[in-house]
Amino acid sequence: MPWFSKKSPESSPDQAPGPKAAKSLKVAPLLSESAIIFPLPGRDKVQVLDELVRAVCQKAGLTDSSAFLAKTLEREQGISTTLDTGLSLPHARMDGIDGIMAGMAVLKTPIADPKQSDLQIRVIFLFFSPNKQDSFPLHLQLLRGVSSLFQPSLIDQLTAAAGPAEALALIRKVEG
Amino acid sequence: MVLTTAMLSFISFWRASAIVLCDLASTAYYIGGIVEQAVGPSAPWFILGVMLFSYAIRAVYMESCSMFVRGGVYKVVKEAMGGKLAKVSAAALMFDYILTGPISTVSGGQYLAGLLNTVFPHFRIGWHINPNAFSCLFAVVATLYFWWENIKGIHESSDKALKIMQLTTVMGVVMIIWCGWTLWARGATLPPFALKFSPEGLGWAHGVSWLKPVGAIGIIMAFGHSLLAMSGEESLAQVYREIEAPKIKNLERAGLVIFVYSMLLTSAVSFFAVMIIPDHIRIAQYSDNLLSGLAMSVIGPHWARVVLQAFVVGVGVVILAGAANTSIVGANGVLNRLAEDGILVPWFRGLHRKYGTTHRLINLIVGLQLVTILLCRGDVYILGEAYAFGVVWSFVFKTMAVMMLRFKNREPREFMVPGNILVKGVQWPVGLAAVFLVLLVTASMNLITKRVATVSGSIFTVVFFFLFVYSEYWNEKKHKDAHDQQEKFNLRHEPDLTHLNEDFAKPKRVLVAVRDPKNLFHLQKVLDVMDAETTDLIVFTSRIRTGLGLVEETVQMDHDEEVLFTKVLELAERNGKTVKPLLVVSNEPFYAIAQAAQAAKASEVVFGVSAKLSTDAQLERLAMTWGSLPTDDKQPVRFRIVGIGVEHAVDL
Repeated sequence: MPWFSKKSPESSPDQAPGPKAAKSLKVAPLLSESAIIFPLPGRDKVQVLDELVRAVCQKAGLTDSSAFLAKTLEREQGISTTLDTGLSLPHARMDGIDGIMAGMAVLKTPIADPKQSDLQIRVIFLFFSPNKQDSFPLHLQLLRGVSSLFQPSLIDQLTAAAGPAEALALIRKVEG
Repeated sequence: MVLTTAMLSFISFWRASAIVLCDLASTAYYIGGIVEQAVGPSAPWFILGVMLFSYAIRAVYMESCSMFVRGGVYKVVKEAMGGKLAKVSAAALMFDYILTGPISTVSGGQYLAGLLNTVFPHFRIGWHINPNAFSCLFAVVATLYFWWENIKGIHESSDKALKIMQLTTVMGVVMIIWCGWTLWARGATLPPFALKFSPEGLGWAHGVSWLKPVGAIGIIMAFGHSLLAMSGEESLAQVYREIEAPKIKNLERAGLVIFVYSMLLTSAVSFFAVMIIPDHIRIAQYSDNLLSGLAMSVIGPHWARVVLQAFVVGVGVVILAGAANTSIVGANGVLNRLAEDGILVPWFRGLHRKYGTTHRLINLIVGLQLVTILLCRGDVYILGEAYAFGVVWSFVFKTMAVMMLRFKNREPREFMVPGNILVKGVQWPVGLAAVFLVLLVTASMNLITKRVATVSGSIFTVVFFFLFVYSEYWNEKKHKDAHDQQEKFNLRHEPDLTHLNEDFAKPKRVLVAVRDPKNLFHLQKVLDVMDAETTDLIVFTSRIRTGLGLVEETVQMDHDEEVLFTKVLELAERNGKTVKPLLVVSNEPFYAIAQAAQAAKASEVVFGVSAKLSTDAQLERLAMTWGSLPTDDKQPVRFRIVGIGVEHAVDL
């Protein structure tokens, strides 16, 4: 049984085999120094996302990032993507891409989440995945993997890092 | 915050049978003596007739249970004929239950006193116990014991009932074999069919020239005197909500077990008593402890018969005391329905802080039973005379209601009383009508022949009826939510979910998240297929609070939560599967669900389709939240979103 499925409603939880352990998905290979930014203080989340989307698209060789930004902001209007660990995880499923595109913003000065003002964002991990049904499991797995990786201890180290190279090295080190 | 309630455990059909049989089968100990005093030595034939007729009554109860999970007399009569008649029938039934306990425990005391008076001379003890005084004392002690058992909860009680019935089975087999051997050795003559009514047995019919106790009229009179042999059928409806899945199938099994068992035991010992105990001592010496007389009249050495008597009495004391338990369970069920319906003030529905039982209702029932014990002063015949009133009239109301519901509610039922004739698309309930007719004629005749029953039963019913009416009126005046039919819950407060795992013992745990009482399709789907033997089902909801609201939260449920969990309980009861309700106060619902799933070590988390969020958005938020939990040893979990025609599942 695949680890994601759309089943008929009659299927029985007691007849189905138990859940499989989640696959280990490495985050570091999805990043590069050019897709890691350290935005200047005083910017809000939308401004940071704009800068980050452009960096991610540039890394992928795309000149027009407006569709990606629009999709990201549209998703941000929905249920919150910020966790109380200080990680914000904007994401969108895009037509016309074949693989994961990811980038990260490290905020030396935290910014308030626009949807939940009591949550302070310290790291933003943005990614796009292909808008295909068979890619959705990977999309979910990445959400789980990233939120699992970015625990407060790593976030503390990232916000203390000098720049993208050190940040990427820290992620590689934690992932092993 | 963890919710607990005592209403959530379900029992096998064996346990259900045992609870009902503790009442039904215990009548074997006193029915023969009571009926013979009224109608003479032909009593066993009528007892047999009543036991055969009980199969039809069982069918009536099964049909009502197939319509209502909590389908006792009150509920069914109310649905069919309205609140006033429902209150009358509930009052009559309460009379039955209030007397079941005392007649059983007093009878148990009579047996014990008889045994002690038999054995004292063998040990050169010169005492003679006054059977009536002793039986009163015994009845009080036994009633108080079962009061405490019921305060602790039904599961303990059903366990005890099962043990009692196992012991009774051994006794029944021994008696049937020994009596059979006696009859084979001595030769046997069946009891005469001729009726010999005592003046008490004729009641007001004595002296009425046109009401002669002969022919069909005599048979109806005698049948009416024997009807209390099937007291206890109502317990079947009360116990139904506790029966595990598949409910109707298990109810059918329980009904069959109860019928075969009570039929064999009650009828057989009644026949044996008349055929084996010499006429001159049967009523004179053993009217209140007929089975002791039977034990002492079989063949065998004296010492062996004394041992048999001791065994019979030992079992009798236990089963008769157990009947007191059944009566408390049954009466508690009836009063709960009344309280839920706003007939009793909400105070009565308050749950015991530790055991989660409706202890105030139990206290009321036991209080009335204790008063009855003291008033009867140990006289089993008086209790038996009075007893039949509640039994027969509650059956009359019930059968009439089930019959009327055939026309009022034409939805298909899982079970129907057989004997239906289809005429021009309408099912005419001929079988039900026949049962009703027999009951109505018998009950009407009992009004004339059973003076004690008519007077005491009428007074009790009228008093209780007006109490219910006044209580309902007062309730409506004082409490606007008097007809608020929400279940009451005990809340156990926990500062966090750390110890949640300790509440579960089964190998698999499934957590179902609920919010909207109108959107429980996913819970029903899980209940449909889950194996209750191997799976703990946690039904979860979260109360969202932020800031100070989180720390200042009280342990009271709000109205919406009560409505939600009442619906959850209804589903659980209908499916006969145990659920563990869980209410968590949190500032973020997905985080609360993920935390609870992790703490409970759930292998599956099931959601309904959200009206606000797409299923993809739900799964995305779950994946994020599940991943963010600060632990390295998260168990694999399957998240499922289940709606009508949709199911999404993901393993994380």
